[in-house]
Amino acid sequence: MKTVRKSRSIESRHSRNGFLFILPWLIGVCLFFIRPLLQTVAFSFAKVSVDLGGFHMKFAGLDNYKYALFESPEYLNNLLDSLTEFSYQIPIILILSFIVAVVLNSRFKGRSFFRSLYFIPVIIINSVVMRFLGNSSSVEALSGAAQSAYLNGLVDFESIFSQMGIPAETTNLVFGYVNQIFDLVWQCGVQIVLFISGLQSIPEQLYEVSKVEGASKWEEFWYITVPMLGTSLVLVVVYTVVDFCVSTNNKVITQAYKVLLDQQIYDISSAMLWLYFAVVGGITALLFVLFHRTCLKRWQ
Amino acid sequence: MKKQTARYKRFTRSRFGNAVYSLILVLAGLFTVIPLVYSVVTSFKPLDELLAFPPKFFVVRPTFKNYIALPELLSNLEVPLSRYVMNTLFVTTSITVLQVLVSSMAAFVTCQVKNRWTKLFFLLVQFALLYNGTTLAVPQYLIFAKIGIIDTYWAYILPALASTMGVFLVKQFMESNVPEVLIEAARIDGAGAGRIFWRLVMPLSKPAWLTLTLFSFQTAWAATGGNLIFSESLKTLPSVMGSVVSSGLARSGSAMAVTVLMMIPPVLIYMATQSNVLETMSSAGIKD
Repeated sequence: MKTVRKSRSIESRHSRNGFLFILPWLIGVCLFFIRPLLQTVAFSFAKVSVDLGGFHMKFAGLDNYKYALFESPEYLNNLLDSLTEFSYQIPIILILSFIVAVVLNSRFKGRSFFRSLYFIPVIIINSVVMRFLGNSSSVEALSGAAQSAYLNGLVDFESIFSQMGIPAETTNLVFGYVNQIFDLVWQCGVQIVLFISGLQSIPEQLYEVSKVEGASKWEEFWYITVPMLGTSLVLVVVYTVVDFCVSTNNKVITQAYKVLLDQQIYDISSAMLWLYFAVVGGITALLFVLFHRTCLKRWQ
Repeated sequence: MKKQTARYKRFTRSRFGNAVYSLILVLAGLFTVIPLVYSVVTSFKPLDELLAFPPKFFVVRPTFKNYIALPELLSNLEVPLSRYVMNTLFVTTSITVLQVLVSSMAAFVTCQVKNRWTKLFFLLVQFALLYNGTTLAVPQYLIFAKIGIIDTYWAYILPALASTMGVFLVKQFMESNVPEVLIEAARIDGAGAGRIFWRLVMPLSKPAWLTLTLFSFQTAWAATGGNLIFSESLKTLPSVMGSVVSSGLARSGSAMAVTVLMMIPPVLIYMATQSNVLETMSSAGIKD
């Protein structure tokens, strides 16, 4: 009995120390994350008016959400647009970074060079350049400039295309995709690293066994590599979705900011943002559950 | 190149597959590097080449003019340039140090003490990862106003306390790289929490907090204070440099020069911490 009590007191001393260690961070998060977050939730359900005395909130139920969905001229379109964008950009990013990761995971000369090469955008994307190139995102500006210069200066694709008799519409379409490639490649850094780590955690024996059993490389890939990557795949998908959905050049977010900063309408912009997060979150959760039900279970 | 491609056969089937893979690798690499090379090259272009249409990728007659023009562009400021530099250095160092310390401490606890509360903390961290700061700008402003730190250095520094990304990274690394047995042994030998943290946990999780240093450095380096800072004497280098960038087409050379100059410190830090960074990012992926 005595020993139990004693161990408990040591335990409680530990957790008190632990509490002290975690305290600064906790204060920071409560003050600068949780409180503002709750405040935006409150804004989204209220009618907010501002005067010299500060904010006045009056409960308004779902009015703001209704306004955003049915009365705001562009909101619904923007929302659908960004969802369609996600629907093809995210798979492209996943596949691209997966292929690069598979290649980088194999042994060849210059591997570490390529690995750090793909990580460079992660370093730069978030930093100074981003803020510098004005309102449009840096990647867009940088890659746009580079792409136009590249296409116009190095190789004059446009004239080649027109000489071949391909109509301008097709050319423009192609260039549109090329332009997006820059954006997409620049967003692959973290995904590549996550995939590589996933690949490296697959035990080597599995491959040896399958080799002994006479499986082809193709079967090896589909029955070992892909299933074993299950969890890192989930991680990468979640990361990518989050990365996309909070990026500041997203249409919905831009619109919400406009309402917020130009027109100073706090309630509606909060509702717009929350609705957007809810839709994206819902879809992600749905995909996640489907993936879990179908793939992960079967793979196990 | 062909000899190299022949070596990695593990995931590929044929020579054709190898060729496709290496093509993808090189292409994606090119797409990554081109914007960077372009911004460096552009910063050396003379005015007529900058304005040439269609724009050329490479510079024909490189010049340092864009860089030489910078001191003059920055000379008629309200506050001497050195003030901005000092502000940036001060803000960047304090944010980085604070963020690394606070996150490592929080990560240490979530990693060592396993109970309902720490689980809740970590859930909170993961949830918070989903939000970027700008979404919360307005309510944050209200809070800043309430505690009276608008237009002080605190407005830069205090938000660094709430680094969720830091806690996540460091915690994931500690889980797999700081053996519990070692901590237990130190505890039995009578080391307190502070001592364990400084002597054991921090040295062992060095790659993780170096990575965090890099990430917080690059965000802190770009901090402009936004709408929280009004006095010119408290502003940082990026906000001044930003004024050069936004001063029109004729200055686009200097704007690129500024961009390249401001890119250098984060890249240098990246080069110094590079191997650690990749290691940490890998360990972040293994768990959960």
